[in-house]
Amino acid sequence: MDMFLYMDKDSLLHRLDPRTKIFIMLISFAIALMFSSLSILLVLSAVIILYGYTGKVLANLKRIQVILIMIALMSVILWAFTYPGTTRIWGPITKEGIIYGIAIGIKFDIMIISGMIFLSSTKIEEISLGLMKLGIPYRPAFAFSTAVRLVPMIVATSYTITQAQKSRGLDLDTGNLIQRIKKYIPLLIPVLISIIRQANILAMALESKGFGYSDKRTNYLEIKFTASDYVFITIAFLILLFAIYFKIKYKM
Amino acid sequence: MSSKEIIVKDLTFRYKEQKDRNAIENINLEVEKGEFIVIMGPSGAGKSTLAQCLNGLIPHFTKGHYSGEVIVRGIKVKETPVSKMAKEIGLVFQDFESQLFSTNTKLEIAFGPENFGVEREEIQNRIERILKIVNLEGLEDRPPSTLSGGQKQRLAIGSVLACMPSIICMDEPTTDLDPIGKIGIFNIAKELHKDKDLTLIIIEHETEEALNADRIILMEKGRIIKDGKAEEILREVELIEQIGLMPLQIPKYFSQVSSLKKEELPLTYEEGVQKFKELKLQIDEEKYNEILKREEERERSYGDVIIDIKDVEYMYPNGTKALDGINLQIKEGEFLALLGHNGSGKTTLAKHLNCLLKPTNGSVIVYGKDTKKSNVYEIGNYVGYAFQNPDHQIFADTVYEEVAFGPRMRGYSEEEVKERVAEALKSVDMESFEKEDPFSLSKGERQRIAVASILAARPRVIILDEPTTGLDYKEQKKMMQLVKKLNENGHTIVMITHTMWIVSEYAHKVAVMKDGKIEMYGKVRDVFKEDEKLKNLFLKTPPIVNMSNRLGETFLSVEEMVSCTRR
Repeated sequence: MDMFLYMDKDSLLHRLDPRTKIFIMLISFAIALMFSSLSILLVLSAVIILYGYTGKVLANLKRIQVILIMIALMSVILWAFTYPGTTRIWGPITKEGIIYGIAIGIKFDIMIISGMIFLSSTKIEEISLGLMKLGIPYRPAFAFSTAVRLVPMIVATSYTITQAQKSRGLDLDTGNLIQRIKKYIPLLIPVLISIIRQANILAMALESKGFGYSDKRTNYLEIKFTASDYVFITIAFLILLFAIYFKIKYKM
Repeated sequence: MSSKEIIVKDLTFRYKEQKDRNAIENINLEVEKGEFIVIMGPSGAGKSTLAQCLNGLIPHFTKGHYSGEVIVRGIKVKETPVSKMAKEIGLVFQDFESQLFSTNTKLEIAFGPENFGVEREEIQNRIERILKIVNLEGLEDRPPSTLSGGQKQRLAIGSVLACMPSIICMDEPTTDLDPIGKIGIFNIAKELHKDKDLTLIIIEHETEEALNADRIILMEKGRIIKDGKAEEILREVELIEQIGLMPLQIPKYFSQVSSLKKEELPLTYEEGVQKFKELKLQIDEEKYNEILKREEERERSYGDVIIDIKDVEYMYPNGTKALDGINLQIKEGEFLALLGHNGSGKTTLAKHLNCLLKPTNGSVIVYGKDTKKSNVYEIGNYVGYAFQNPDHQIFADTVYEEVAFGPRMRGYSEEEVKERVAEALKSVDMESFEKEDPFSLSKGERQRIAVASILAARPRVIILDEPTTGLDYKEQKKMMQLVKKLNENGHTIVMITHTMWIVSEYAHKVAVMKDGKIEMYGKVRDVFKEDEKLKNLFLKTPPIVNMSNRLGETFLSVEEMVSCTRR
């Protein structure tokens, strides 16, 4: 089973400089955080989906669809009850609450999708190289990219461990909340121990290949800004300016 | 002084948490340029510790009590950081999964040279050269996670070679690999050895593969107990067996049936066939027929068909067909081994037996229950599944709690649980371990705890997924004796394994899988008779089987053949 997020495709998005993609991702975060209006967030998500479409990486969203739906649902339920709306539908639930809940759900989903598009179209090495070019020292940049890499490793290990414990009679589907939480202990401990062990070996393997030999390190990958990078950055920047203008003018 | 590649002087090391003894003690060693050395020894002999002392991971990364001196190519290891030593000596680890971290093969190889500030064009050259050496051409853009185990380990070797060290040290590079993967690694080792400037050190516990080396170093309990030419050491049958390693079968056989001097013992099965004829030894047909008769009786003693697999196909969600028309019946009391390479479908098939997976097409009937209409929890009452790595399931503070987990999950009373735990621990000979912390036990012991925790559910069928991987010969034998005992007490055993001598000596039946199909099936003796056919499937039958096949009959173990040899 392939647990890695990066999708090795040949697309305009893949060829962009990682710095451009980091920049676009941050702008999408900023705009999503600025607004809580459903219509604006819907437009923004359409733009981001289109952006992901150019990179042929939307298939990855399927893998996290459950998470996306759960977040949206949780938000709707939470805000439906708590938002101080006036149009009552049923009990404490108001129309405004539901709409606001949907908007907030979309806001979070946008950020996840945007991050997902970035990770799906950018090699881990490109991310750390991009971070370095942005002035972050090699070690933290490498640590960050390694952390990203460890996630699929953890997922794969957890999968095996879950099967092993199920074979011993672990039944995660019954019992009350506390009982269920307790049932995760036989999963968590072996997962943690495996990760610590794997991380230790990884650290040894890194040192054995000269990690930290000197501060001057060459990079096999080359990244540089091309015309399309400038186009994407300009568009993203204009959208951001427009959003700020919109925000101030209409006080949304 | 610097004419030697490696000089180890009075080296002693003890890990911080180690109380009873030193990990290695008083090691003295000199290695010449271009040598191919195999270091052998049972678990806990200090082989990996020694390897990590050579490149400086000890004492720089792992700290402890260190005395003595290691000089590699004239550099004092104790005073030099690991990253500097990496230029001189490359270390490859057993666990290839955790060593690889790059997005694709090319970048993995580039990592080392990047650290050393090698120019881009030169890195490109090295990548091309390394891909050729480790036989991964055409896979340069593949993510390591999509490679097979053997390919991953070859990539790990390549990524170390890319730093262009003068010494390569591999720590059990083949332990976790299937037979094809092993062959790949040993071919690379042979190729590398042709380079007279490269020194090669491999840590192994499989004796057979040590035949290619120039020199063997035997270690036990932290000390070097024998150091000499490969052929000489491999003829030390008794010593090797005594320290808990598997001796070569051919010299072992001849040391028992003849009075040949040590240096005259044949090593390979080809030499053995010749020696057998030279010495005018004969096979006692009467005794051989007795063995066959006993086997037939065993065949008749099996009970009903308890697992019935009919036309099973299995498709993974991503569309890969893992099983393709499997038909197999398992009778109560059988001991079936599943052989085949990684990706051949063994594990997928085994997971169908306890309902972890359900067939896409066809049916699996376990004790009259169709697994399609059942679940792991219910089938688990009949079929227990011990996973390969005990560390993927051990979680409790004490052995008792660990083994009690299964029965507790099934809601038995504390009294019943107690009884079951006692019974399960007794079955694995670990009654006195109830209060021990499972994490402090040896790998072999943890493996047995994992089996005990399966037994506590009192299943009638036990599936064991590579129960002996990563164990040394002594532990392997202990584990297999346990499995044999369980089988004799009425449990049906289905065992996935790569270890051919274990199938040979313990299993009754064997199914050889390839590309999701059962390629060969039958009594072990009948299947192993066709050693050429198995060899074409990259499965190497044990030398004693090969030798006896050449002599007309099939013997499955040295003991069996000795008992039927007329001098």
